[in-house]
Amino acid sequence: MSKKIIKCEINNQEVEVPEGTSIIEAFKELDQSIAHYCWHPGLSVAGVCRLCMVDIEGIPKLQIACNTEVKEGMKISNQSEKVKEAVKWGLEFHLINHPLDCPICDQAGECELQEQYMNFGQYSPNMAERKVKKRKVVDLGSKIVLDTERCILCSRCVRFTDEVSKTHELGIFNRGDRSEIGIFKDKPLENEYAVNTVDICPVGALTSKDFRFRQRVWYLKTADSICTGCSTGCNIKIDYNEEGLFRVQPRYNKEVNGYWMCDKGREVYRLPNKEGRLLEAKAPSSYSFKREDSLRPSRAGGNPVSSVEVLKKIRELFVKKEKAPQSALVLTAQYTVEEYEDLVSFFIKHLGTQQDIYYWRNNPESFDDFDGVLLRGDKNPNTKGLLEVLTNQGAIHSWESLQNRLKQKEIEVLWVAGPENQKVYPDLKEKIDTFESYCDNIIWWTAHPLSDSQKIWQIPTKTFFEKEGTLINHTGRAQKVKAVHQLVSSALSLSESATVLKGEELKKQEPPFLVTPMKTNHFTYKKKVL
Amino acid sequence: MSKSQKDFKLSEEGLAFVKKELTRYETKRSAILPCVYRVQKENGGWVSPEAVSYLSKIMDIPTAYINEVLSFYTMYNKSPVGKLHIQVCCNLSCAMNGGRELAEHLCESFNVKEGEVSANDEVTISRVECLGACDIAPMAQVNDKYIGPLKKETVVEEMKTLLEEK
Repeated sequence: MSKKIIKCEINNQEVEVPEGTSIIEAFKELDQSIAHYCWHPGLSVAGVCRLCMVDIEGIPKLQIACNTEVKEGMKISNQSEKVKEAVKWGLEFHLINHPLDCPICDQAGECELQEQYMNFGQYSPNMAERKVKKRKVVDLGSKIVLDTERCILCSRCVRFTDEVSKTHELGIFNRGDRSEIGIFKDKPLENEYAVNTVDICPVGALTSKDFRFRQRVWYLKTADSICTGCSTGCNIKIDYNEEGLFRVQPRYNKEVNGYWMCDKGREVYRLPNKEGRLLEAKAPSSYSFKREDSLRPSRAGGNPVSSVEVLKKIRELFVKKEKAPQSALVLTAQYTVEEYEDLVSFFIKHLGTQQDIYYWRNNPESFDDFDGVLLRGDKNPNTKGLLEVLTNQGAIHSWESLQNRLKQKEIEVLWVAGPENQKVYPDLKEKIDTFESYCDNIIWWTAHPLSDSQKIWQIPTKTFFEKEGTLINHTGRAQKVKAVHQLVSSALSLSESATVLKGEELKKQEPPFLVTPMKTNHFTYKKKVL
Repeated sequence: MSKSQKDFKLSEEGLAFVKKELTRYETKRSAILPCVYRVQKENGGWVSPEAVSYLSKIMDIPTAYINEVLSFYTMYNKSPVGKLHIQVCCNLSCAMNGGRELAEHLCESFNVKEGEVSANDEVTISRVECLGACDIAPMAQVNDKYIGPLKKETVVEEMKTLLEEK
């Protein structure tokens, strides 16, 4: 049964909302600004911060918008002097015991307390009392640090552990001005979703160990992307600048991940970063260079050989033959649909048949796991996409048949689109060993170097942050990733590699998109004094 | 802060009490207050972190919830107390009748600081606010008994007899 739609007026603007909507939700619907700390759309209503005050026509006292339902014909405003005065004093109470240590606080720049202070601050505090000293730098576990002085007790994090992660680690202990959030001694904040509490903390009380003090937020730009950590495909935003990527935060998508994401997914920002990437294509050590060879490593500061050059060489060796050598293609589900299409169609046209394409499935034991919230056992962003491409081509074959063919030395050239995230492929080493022992020519696309392997041609690939494409998550939902910033200049996507292998020229690449870090402070001080 | 204790278990009656309390209220969390009090009684007057963990297990309530209640109320002791926990009232009526001096005198005679445990785990002396017994001011709550009016001259003797009775 659909809910009745009711009309109300917010700041003289009419809005229609379903019955049961709270006033603050109606404000958000209209994109009207309203001060609030404790209310969060993904959590229950606490009504403790007393900042979302609104004036309702016909009601003498101000009401809190988060815990008042909209009723037919209500006339609501938060522009009146009365409301502004109330918010101003509400904020003053929040600041009574807040240390105001913004210069050394990691939240500075994205702190809701700072933001509201710009709007409603008193600028000359009226409190003459001493602030209550509390614990600073409290270790809550391996991921999070707590500063109890900065906490304004909005209880968002406590509600998060109660309602979303359902692990109940956090509580509000003690009483009155000594109240503080904390954990009970034997139960640290170690759940799979713990870092969400850092995101929802409106102040700098909860900070992530991984991100704190690494960058000021005003030196970061944000790009939308899709998490490649598992087949859920959470919508994320990535903070980055010239130096690389720094953190991942969830982006709201009702259908996929809601407001949250798991802590494992937050590590995907490390994948595109230059540390640990394969920066140049590598020829196997067994490859003997000839004098006129374009791949000859230059001794004295010559230009490094580009991946395109290496691929051209590979084309000469294995593709541009009268009779194509017996080849096989192994694909992991870590690339985009477009890349699979290009690479597979190239392979079928020039090198082999549908019978020669194989799908490498990692950790089959835990593949179908699901923790009931977001985290899935299939640690690939695009399993559905790959299987769709393969089914369309009629190319689904068991891994055993590849192994048999390898053992019979049937395969002369093995093309492998290896995992971008090697950590989630526990069988990586084993597979490399098998391939190497039965096949002499292996071409491996990878974003990260294959350690201890000298026999493989390694081609650096673009990570999800550097290429455009489609990823299909476990429900079959296609989501796009955008090319934001190329960190490794020689990296090629599988599509680009296929183009080069076909003997075509790459489309002229657009000059690398450089991010100018935000150097100016966009906060303007309304009263022109600090 | 909180000291540790090896092991704690409720008695048979204590367990039955907890079970009964759990069914008594609409939510299980409501039963925390009486159950923690029971634990304090059986654990020699204080609630150790181990006791909280134990209670959390038998009540099936997260430790954080129990600790929230425990840390909120001052009448739960978070550190060990002596055999006699002497809580001297220092609020208006008692203070006017010498309650504060009484507390000081007791501390001196038992050679112990306020809130700490004296030698041989004998006594803990703490100051409290009004206990609602102004008619017998100055008074003190010794474990769960009200005693008053107290006299500076006889109070130490009185406490010593109580200690012997223990």
